[in-house]
Amino acid sequence: MSGNHFPKITLWRTIVALIFAAGAYAAYARFALGFQQSTNLVDAQPWGLWVGLGTLCGVGISAGGFAIAAAVYLLGFERYRQVVRAAVLLSFLGYLTVVVGMMYELGLPWRIWHPIVMWNRKSVLFEVAWCVMLYTTVLAFEFSPALVEKIPWARIRQTYLSWHHEILIGLVLVGAVLSSLHQSFLGGLYLLAKGKVDPLWYSQYLPSLFYLSAVPAGLAATIMVVFLSMRSLNARVSPGVLTEMSQVIAPLLYVYALFRGIDLFTHGGWSYMWMWREETLLFWLEIGLFVLAPIILLSQEKIRTNPQYLYWTCSLVVMGFISNRLNVAVTAFQRSSGFYYVPKWTEFALTFATVTAAAVAFHYAVLHLDILPKAAPRKPQLMQRVATA
Amino acid sequence: MPKTKAILIDITKCIGCRSCEQACKQIHGFPLDSEQKLSPTAFTIVEEHGDRFVRRMCMNCQDPACASACLVGALKKTDLGPVTYDSSKCIGCRYCIVACPFNVPRYQWSKLVPFVTKCDMCYTRQAKGQLPACVEACPVQASIAGWRDEILEEAQRRVLLDPKYVKRIYGAEEAGGTSVFFISDVPFEDLGFKTVPNQPMPVLTANALGDVPTVVLVGGSLLAGVYWITNRRKQVAMAEAREKAAQSASGESERS
Repeated sequence: MSGNHFPKITLWRTIVALIFAAGAYAAYARFALGFQQSTNLVDAQPWGLWVGLGTLCGVGISAGGFAIAAAVYLLGFERYRQVVRAAVLLSFLGYLTVVVGMMYELGLPWRIWHPIVMWNRKSVLFEVAWCVMLYTTVLAFEFSPALVEKIPWARIRQTYLSWHHEILIGLVLVGAVLSSLHQSFLGGLYLLAKGKVDPLWYSQYLPSLFYLSAVPAGLAATIMVVFLSMRSLNARVSPGVLTEMSQVIAPLLYVYALFRGIDLFTHGGWSYMWMWREETLLFWLEIGLFVLAPIILLSQEKIRTNPQYLYWTCSLVVMGFISNRLNVAVTAFQRSSGFYYVPKWTEFALTFATVTAAAVAFHYAVLHLDILPKAAPRKPQLMQRVATA
Repeated sequence: MPKTKAILIDITKCIGCRSCEQACKQIHGFPLDSEQKLSPTAFTIVEEHGDRFVRRMCMNCQDPACASACLVGALKKTDLGPVTYDSSKCIGCRYCIVACPFNVPRYQWSKLVPFVTKCDMCYTRQAKGQLPACVEACPVQASIAGWRDEILEEAQRRVLLDPKYVKRIYGAEEAGGTSVFFISDVPFEDLGFKTVPNQPMPVLTANALGDVPTVVLVGGSLLAGVYWITNRRKQVAMAEAREKAAQSASGESERS
């Protein structure tokens, strides 16, 4: 890491390089050979892994940014201020993966600007597109001081930062409203597919369910990246903060579970919960990972106060969240379409490469920018890393 | 709604000659080989169900799910009735395919510049007063076309007068009503027809979209209000601290 050396070959770097190589081939397959060669998508399953994992999960897991920013700047929870930049950066990178994902997900990506001038206010996707555009811009502004404060010219730096300070509250407010809207609208997309979506997942309240599940998942993801930054990147936040954040997740999961339960009961999904079908198994996997296991685990003092245990519990929440979105996007359509969709490896490769790029960016941002409080002054930190390398 | 065009397909009359398929392919310049399913080169096909023949095509709904789904408005319900597709607007998101309750639109998955494809009831021909190519080609008038209200009346007349028909017009209610009607002497379920909700599909999202202004106003002002309170508290706390500091400072100066 000390500059003029050739980068050391480590296990993680090898893995990252392999993922990027696979992603590069998959990108070639997508753009030079087309959908048919690079995906298993068909008319019966026109949206697959790229939408289910790349878009739905990419946006959902980025919900931590607006939640923490609103908590700190609007609600005055000063304790979370030390993780607000990490949360905003996670969201910003998350949204960037979604925007990059659009470039291979769309059939005609060079027309991605069309929704700016061609409007259809009746389309949920139109609202989603505008929210993603606006909120990605808001996140870029929210995050920008971390970059600007590294600019060597004091005049520019100070002018920008004071201007930013003026508009920050407005940005956070607009950001919270925008992202609340479009977290919900991602669920709203599936309202139109009534009759195609399995009763275990179809509900007129899909927008609310998407919103209520995204916030705990976003917080869990934020806890995960903060923990990883503390473990590997020498960041230090005060010990109670992660515990406090986890204490917010549990009640949010309760609310979600209650809402989902009532919804299943009143919309007739209830009877499907006990049928012996593949859908039912995947439904219970989702509920177990996202709701049951985390609620039980987070009720344990021992788990809330141990960052390591907390990390693994949060990873259950995130995995449960991912299974929910994949169930809505893929599992829920299988019976009505009669098509059993399994993504092609190139679909996985492109999504993983995009997410990995975001992870690498996060890694270097935490190392070189002031994202999280650092443990020790710079010099010993460097020595330590050299010693452990 | 202005007068719109419609097609009636009488399954009892179809002899399975596939002239409609051929005429459709010819007019679009597609290869003429018969296909089993709708495809980017087959906007209508004739399916065999026992000794009945069922033609499939886009239903050209009165309030189409695809048109409400399309974020750039490439799919449109024309005043004349057909649901048309403007390929110059399409960005290839495929939400229309997800949304269509009849599973009609087909994507050009094998192309590098792929578009959505579907029947538009020969919009350009109908705009000039001509019949849709498939209807014109039908030698036994199993498919007829005309103004929707008249065509629907004709369908009702046949179903009511002739006891052989199932007492149902597929397309009259489905998805809030379509521009293509089927009548049959065999239950529609046995002929592979999908059971589709009887409401116009866009209603399902209209409610959610209608909530937007409320969410923006209520959520926005709620957050702004909370911010005002926390900010006020902070200011009060700071002012108190300053006062205290001033008092203790003046106290000290008095003592000295």
